[in-house]
Amino acid sequence: MKIIVTIKQVPEANKVAVNPETGTLIREGVESILNPFCEYALDMAVKLKIQNPDLNVEIIVISMGPPQAKYALIRCLELGADKAYLLSDRAFSGSDVWATALTLKEGILKKIGNFDLILAGKQAIDGDTAQVPAELAENLGIPHIYYGFDIKIDKKKINVKKETEKGYKVIEVRLPALVTISKGPSTIRRLPSMKDMIEARKKPLEIINAKSLNMDENKIGLNGSFTQVVKIFSPPTKKAGEIIDGNDSINAAEKLFMFLKEKLIV
Amino acid sequence: MKNVSSNIFNSEKIAIKISFNDIRSIHGKTKILTDYPTYLMDESKLNGTADWLFFPKSEAEIVSILEFLQKNKIRTYVSAARTGIVGACVPNSGSVLSTEKMNKIFGFGFDKNKNYYFIRVEPGITLNEINDKLIKKELDNIPELTPDAIKNFKEIKDPFHYPVDPTEMSATIGGTVATNASGARTLKYGPTRQWIKGLRVLLSSGDILDIQRGECFASKEGSFIINKSNGGKLQFKIPNFIFNTSVKNAAGIYSKPNMDLIDLFIGSEGILGIITQIDIWIIEKNPLISNVLFFNSEEDSISFVELIRNNRIISPEFIEFFSYEALNLMKNVQNKDPGSINMPQIPIDAKSAIFFDVPYSEEKIDIIFSKINKITKKCNTSLSNSWSGYENREITRLKHFRQALPENVNAIIATRKQQFPQIHKLGTDICIPEKYFRNMMEYYHTVVRNANLDYVIFGHIGENHVHVNILPKNMEELRLGEEIYEKFAKKAVEYGGSISAEHGIGKIKTDYLKIMYSQKDLDEMRLIKKSLDPLLVLNYGNIFNFDVETE
Repeated sequence: MKIIVTIKQVPEANKVAVNPETGTLIREGVESILNPFCEYALDMAVKLKIQNPDLNVEIIVISMGPPQAKYALIRCLELGADKAYLLSDRAFSGSDVWATALTLKEGILKKIGNFDLILAGKQAIDGDTAQVPAELAENLGIPHIYYGFDIKIDKKKINVKKETEKGYKVIEVRLPALVTISKGPSTIRRLPSMKDMIEARKKPLEIINAKSLNMDENKIGLNGSFTQVVKIFSPPTKKAGEIIDGNDSINAAEKLFMFLKEKLIV
Repeated sequence: MKNVSSNIFNSEKIAIKISFNDIRSIHGKTKILTDYPTYLMDESKLNGTADWLFFPKSEAEIVSILEFLQKNKIRTYVSAARTGIVGACVPNSGSVLSTEKMNKIFGFGFDKNKNYYFIRVEPGITLNEINDKLIKKELDNIPELTPDAIKNFKEIKDPFHYPVDPTEMSATIGGTVATNASGARTLKYGPTRQWIKGLRVLLSSGDILDIQRGECFASKEGSFIINKSNGGKLQFKIPNFIFNTSVKNAAGIYSKPNMDLIDLFIGSEGILGIITQIDIWIIEKNPLISNVLFFNSEEDSISFVELIRNNRIISPEFIEFFSYEALNLMKNVQNKDPGSINMPQIPIDAKSAIFFDVPYSEEKIDIIFSKINKITKKCNTSLSNSWSGYENREITRLKHFRQALPENVNAIIATRKQQFPQIHKLGTDICIPEKYFRNMMEYYHTVVRNANLDYVIFGHIGENHVHVNILPKNMEELRLGEEIYEKFAKKAVEYGGSISAEHGIGKIKTDYLKIMYSQKDLDEMRLIKKSLDPLLVLNYGNIFNFDVETE
């Protein structure tokens, strides 16, 4: 069984500030890391591999990014991935979510070929768009489920627990499919051993340029992008909404009234 | 004014006077006890009392405070982050002078002789704040002390830092100079002393000594002469003993033939003067991989340390130890709440662990780990029996794991205190010459086990400096623990070690200092104190016992 995990290298989020004058990220002294949600997706793949020894699971990670993004892939190899591909070329730079999804699709089809399952983080903590996985699935013509946090393999199908506002629902889907992961299977992040560190550096990591994907140059990078980032700013902080428990209707009505009164609405 | 001769130093006087009334202060024993209780203790939890609490913002303000104190015969205790664990900043009476508002950066320069950059700071800035500025190279609006220093510095791609790491990075630079702090990374970088380029020290007389390293040395006879700003002369002799630097040592006043005047103040726990400005050298921060390796026995882990310590390929920055008892304590914490220490499960059969940092580069990682692999085989463990991380967040995580141990020890003590308020942790700070280290470890285990007390051992094994923490459950166990502590101190001195390798003496360890030094040595140290601070205004009771008053 082949599980592909798509990953992204991102700046460590809590350290990044936005320059208010230029609207760009201040990245000096900020380390690049594997996007945490991508790490959860990888953790899920490793968990499935351990749970299903008879399926002979192979975990392949793929990313598009600058040359230094290979370190995020090495990190995946340390944490249990078997093979890694980095799609890296100047021609890819400036890609928006659409061009990224198309490039990843070509990388997957041309370098990996057949697969059973794609796992992705629910979003990257830098851009926060959460668009690439869905667009990738659409381009590959496979179903996708967002916000999964648990997966059970059942022959040619999987059962996915999908997070909802109030809890979760279980969705069954035929393979191949794509699932984005919102929460890792473990609350404590794994740490590789020194042996994992050495082994990771012996595993295959291939860097692929635009030419070898043989893509139309109008479909990649800036040329292939329909959207453009004009400005980046920190969103104003918003307080979480309050949910009033409706089981006790009298109490609930009173609470609602007090809330409205406080806001001078009534 | 230029200093004329090697052992003669000219002091300065502050030019601008500030009225005492313009300085922020709190007056009243009860008010301080009620509203500012944290200023009356440090991490040792020793409690004090004070009538005054001062928050000076500059050296000039301290001068005015000192005038007021001398006139009214009030003692003062210099305090900053209060992260110390020997009660050095805890006031016996009198006043507390907090340097927390003096946390500015005054300048940045390049030292041609040493080929190092240096930064000029006030004493109240924390090590975290200094390193944060250096790593981000945030040095705008800071005066350049040598031409183009900041410009050239910014052009260097690598991040820089101040390499002394006393584990508690919220400590202030002033506090760490006063105690000559060391910590885990002393293995590679040495203690604070080696990183101090210059100091401004305010004597209780109001005279300022602006000392740069390499300017003023003790004469053959061991004397220094300070030309005071009022025309007077201050002459004193350094002690005749040679301060033991063959092991990590923070016990007593530094002394050695032909010593630099600056070294007298580093590690003197504030009893000779108040530090108002510090020049520290800084260096490139090496990328590192942090590792925790587990072992089947304590002997194996000590063998591992002996084999990697001086290995030039592995070149560890620090080597830390966790005993079986320490790992068990952490396992218990983990079993109760797996998230609390944010680490994977500690292996059930681990009998000890070594935590060590090695340089990280993609080119060398294979060579270094292959070398470590060979050594682990000799020590009956394997590379798979470990945790490893090189991203900053992982390095921080592993460091937190190390810090979580003493924190959990303190938490256990805090619970026991509820029943016996007098109970406290008994933490040794003993450093032993390498050839006696195994004997000492055996001695530690045998003595505490025979007394049937709870304990853990952890710390800087790379320098043969581990902390034995005894956790008494009741007053009888506390008494037993204190007896054992004294036994350990005597054994350490017998082996040529130090009774206080890095914590200093403060007010808590003055009795143990007497085990390490003769009466004559102590008297010679006291004489310096009396020469530089005749009215005993500054940090009275640190290092020496109270019998100084009766002499």
